[in-house]
Formats: sequence, structure tokens, C-alpha cells
Amino acid sequence: MSAIDREGAEELLYREALALDSGAWDDWLALYTEDATFWVPAWRDEENVTQDPDSELSLIYYQGRRNLEDRVWRARSGLSVASKPRPRVVHAITNVLLLTANDAQARTSSSFAVHLYDKRSERTHVFFGRYEHALRNEAGDWRIAAKKIVLLNDVIPTVLDFYSI
Amino acid sequence: MVRYELGELIDDRPADGIFRVSRAIFDDPAIFDLEMERIFEGGWVFLGIADQARAPHDFFTSWIGRVPILVSRDGEGMLGGFVNSCPHKGSRVAQTMSGNARVHVCPYHSWSFDSAGRNKAIKLKKAGCYAEAFDGQSHDLARLPAFEEYRGFLFGSVSADVPPLAEYLGEAAKLLDLVADQSEEGVELVPGGVTFTYDGNWKLQLENCSDAYHFTSAHPSYIRLLDQRQKSNSQSAVKSVWEKTDYWKEDAEGDVQGGSFSFDHGHVLNWGRFGITDALPLYESAERLAERHGEAKRDWMFNMRNLTIFPNLQIAENASSQLRVIRPISADRTEMRTWCIAPKGESGDARRLRIRQYEDFFNPSGMATPDDTVSYENCQRGFASRVEPWLQGYSRGMSASRTGGNAFSSVIGLAPARSVLADAQLGDETLFHSYYRAWAQRMVGALGA
Ligand code: FES
Ligand SMILES: [Fe+2]
Repeated sequence: MSAIDREGAEELLYREALALDSGAWDDWLALYTEDATFWVPAWRDEENVTQDPDSELSLIYYQGRRNLEDRVWRARSGLSVASKPRPRVVHAITNVLLLTANDAQARTSSSFAVHLYDKRSERTHVFFGRYEHALRNEAGDWRIAAKKIVLLNDVIPTVLDFYSI
Repeated sequence: MVRYELGELIDDRPADGIFRVSRAIFDDPAIFDLEMERIFEGGWVFLGIADQARAPHDFFTSWIGRVPILVSRDGEGMLGGFVNSCPHKGSRVAQTMSGNARVHVCPYHSWSFDSAGRNKAIKLKKAGCYAEAFDGQSHDLARLPAFEEYRGFLFGSVSADVPPLAEYLGEAAKLLDLVADQSEEGVELVPGGVTFTYDGNWKLQLENCSDAYHFTSAHPSYIRLLDQRQKSNSQSAVKSVWEKTDYWKEDAEGDVQGGSFSFDHGHVLNWGRFGITDALPLYESAERLAERHGEAKRDWMFNMRNLTIFPNLQIAENASSQLRVIRPISADRTEMRTWCIAPKGESGDARRLRIRQYEDFFNPSGMATPDDTVSYENCQRGFASRVEPWLQGYSRGMSASRTGGNAFSSVIGLAPARSVLADAQLGDETLFHSYYRAWAQRMVGALGA
């Protein structure tokens, strides 16, 4: 086993992006560890996001991949008018930095812009912000153990789902 | 110009069993302008809660219709409501959603105001060669013609022609008590606000909050997930109160599962039985609240309650607790400012449970609200039609609606104007009548009779 390098980390981030863009949500889930944290903090004020998910509000906060599985189930269920027809999205990820890395884990920061086109509402939107990924080596496979998404334009036009950020 | 007569917009004929609303009131920009003038800029509007400006010189900003508002607590601890616009050339003075400032300096020409709205300085006044008449004018921030607090809930009006707030709230004030009394210390907004927009009329949100009929048809994905989570019994799944109660299930046993109350001035409540369940964060206080307020009032605090104080405040206590402020932008666009409202002093565990349930259910990034707002947008598209202008969504409950209250309201001394007792399938729509009767009263002078 060896530490992940920046290229390897980028590869993982881009694979996550492609899975979300193409609606390959099982592939997307498979990139996460079972105990993964998925966190989109809300904003306290104009300049600061919330820091403590237990005492402050988040847009999304889940501990455990099974909660992401629930989101995927709902999006596919045919029982949610907001989820179908599925908007078209493309994740553009840049400025990837490897912050720390050893054999067992790594942390990255990156920037994202998700271009979204919702045919039904005739709405085009760009959600943008920063990602922080915590990666973990699970028996030779690098997986996402935590993802924090700082969404900079947080006035949500009607819907934001896991694939829009 | 609005070319409608009132009867073309609201068809209210109780004796004939008819209540219909025209699509035009959701769709016509001229009607929207009139609503701003007559409803939002012509009466009481909710601004925020006192706890948003807790300490001396704290302030927050808000809206009354299109008008930017500053609420500030002065050095003596008195709250004041002002138009957030400089008397000099109109610039917005306070720039942020909230903060603390002894002095507000206008960013344009540096006129300054204290936290009581009084003008403190006019830059280079002496050198300004003003005429004498200038000193005869007030240079203070314009005070709201009406500004009052009820139990920490702050309301203002840009028109002086309003009844006292207590009269405007009437009996519905007791439903704000059910929120305010959940803690001896009062309520607070959990840090972190969420704002979203939808491309639809503001009254779609007004109605949806009180719409018991839509829950099982608009939210089946959420309902099924609750079921799956309950069965899986997983520790990491987000817990929800809906799992622990079945009042909303269409096959629920028992006659009365909830109902609606309507009040004068357009305030309404729809409610359902939850019972004292540990799925509610308030559970830890159940005994104390019963001792302090009696069992009847305590039980009401645990009921599912969706309250609207017309025209822009909604407090939804079901899965968690949400305070929503409706801000109409145009006939077909609305902004919602939302917070998790919570009793002060609750335990860390209760707060965490409240927050997790809130995010999952209420957020535009959650699993329920998007199915509402997308439906609003679908309605808005349909409102363009005048082929058959009348909408039929105001008819359920017509033969169940009664004047006055019932056994459930009288136990807490609540006297609504009208009430409906509902089983799990009734899905009352007569509570919307209260909205449109208040709407008609406010609009009538501007429309033909
Ligand atoms: S507009 Fe405020 S000082 Fe000129
Ligand atoms: Fe809903």
C-alpha cells in the first residue's frame, strides 16, 4: 500500500463527478465508505457557514452511506415529482489540492461548478463552491469517508438534490 | 389597471355551497401590484423574532412587501422598526442580514444614525450651505407607522391604518403561545437560515402549508422511506416523528385525527394528533410542560400544527419545527426565508434530533419540500388558462365546517371563527376560505364590487 498522489485523488474526484453526471448512482454510492459523512453546511450570515451540525443547521447532513442510499432510492422511485424528469447536470471540478496524504488516508480541497439544466422548468442554473474530501484506503481501494460541500450561492432555485452539487 | 370585479375573482356563496377562486389572482401582475399595496404594504406583516436582536444595538433586516426594513434594539433595550432607507438619497443603510451596531453609517454620503434610528451626524453639515428650512426636517430613519411585539414575534406595518396587533392576531395569538411557551426562556432560531425561491405565486405557499389533502399524494417517496427506515431499524438512519404516528395515514383508525381552525383576518391552523412521543424533541419537557401549563395545553404542543398568520408567517410543527417567511417577488415568483425555530435551553440530544428531522423534511435540499415547490410551479403554469378560470380546490370539508370551535379548541380556551373535525381522509379545504375572505376584505376597495 502506498499514499495516494494528486493524480490519484483527482481521478477519484472525476470518477465521482462522472457517476453523478451520468446518473450512475450505484457507482457513485460505491465510492463512499459505509460510515461516510456527507455535509452541506448552511450559512450563518453573509460570510460564514455553520460549523457544528449538531447545534447549527445544514442544508444536508448525513452520517452513514445508507442515508445517501435513501436519497438515491427516492430519486429513482418514481414517487417524487421533483425527481423526475431528472435534470441534466455536469460537474466541473478544478483547483484540486492534496492537503495531507499517507498510506491510510488523505484530504483534498477542490472547486466545483455544477451546471444544471431542468427541461421541465426551462431553468438553467450553476451551483458553485468548494469541496473538501476525506479519502480512506479500504483494502487497497480509495474511498470517500467524508465530503463537505461549501455551496457559495445558497439561495436555492426550487430544488437542490445530491446530484446538483 | 385591474379590470376585475371582486365576484369574478372570489365566488363565495355559502348558502349555495359554492366557494371558488379564479386563476387570475395567482397569475395577473396587476393583481399582484394591488396585493402589495393593499395587503403587504397596507397591513401587519411579520418581520422576525425578538431573539434575532437579543442584545443592545443588535439589529436584523427584513421586508414589508417591497420595502426594506431595519429592526434594531437600542441602548436601552427597546426594539424599533424602521424603513432601511436613508433620508438623504434613499440608500439602504444596514447592509447585512443581522449584526450589532451602535451607529449605522450610510455607505453613500456617511450620514449616521444611532440604534434608535436617530440621526447622529450629517457629513460636513456646517460647510453644506443648507437653507434654514433644512433643520426643520427630521433626518432620522423613518419609523414604521406601526410596530409591535407579541410574545417575541415582531410585526410591522408601513401603513398607520391598522388595528392594534392583539386585535389583528385575535384568538390565533393563542397558537403563537403554544410555540412561545415550549420553554420558559422563549424560542430562538437555530443558527443557519435557508432561503429558496420558486417560480410561482406566493399564495401557493400560503395554501400548501394548510393543505392536509396533499400529504399522501405529493410525498409518497418520503412516506415510503420512513417505512423502510422503520423496518431496517438502522442506527444511522435519520429518525422522524412521522414514523411514530399514523394520524395522517389514510387507513388510520378512529374518527377524529385532526382538523382545522379558521380565524378572522385570514389566520388558519391545520392540525393532527401526534400524541406524546419520544420522536419529538420536546419529549424531554413533557412532564414539566404539563405541570406548568396543564395537560391539555401540553398535549396541544405535541400535536402536529401548521399555523399561518396572514399574510406572511407560517410556523409548521410536524417533523421538527419550521418558521417560514413568505416574500412575494412577482405574480409568478416567491422567495421563502426559513429557519428551524426551537425552544431555548433544550438538551443537545433534543436539538440534534430537531435539526436532523428538519433538514430531511423541510429543506429545499431535503426529501419533502421539493415535491411541494415543484407542484407549485406546475400549478403556476396551469394558472395561465382562462378557458375555465375557476379552481375547484376549495370544496372539501364544505359540509363539515362549523361556526365556532369544538371540544379540541375549548380545552385550551381557543375560540376560532370556524372549525372542521377531520378523519384521516377528509383533507379539509374550507380553511383556505379564511385566506380569501381576508384577501377580499383588503382588496375590495380597489376592485369593482
Ligand atoms: S444616501 Fe445616505 S448619506 Fe446619502
Ligand atoms: Fe408538502
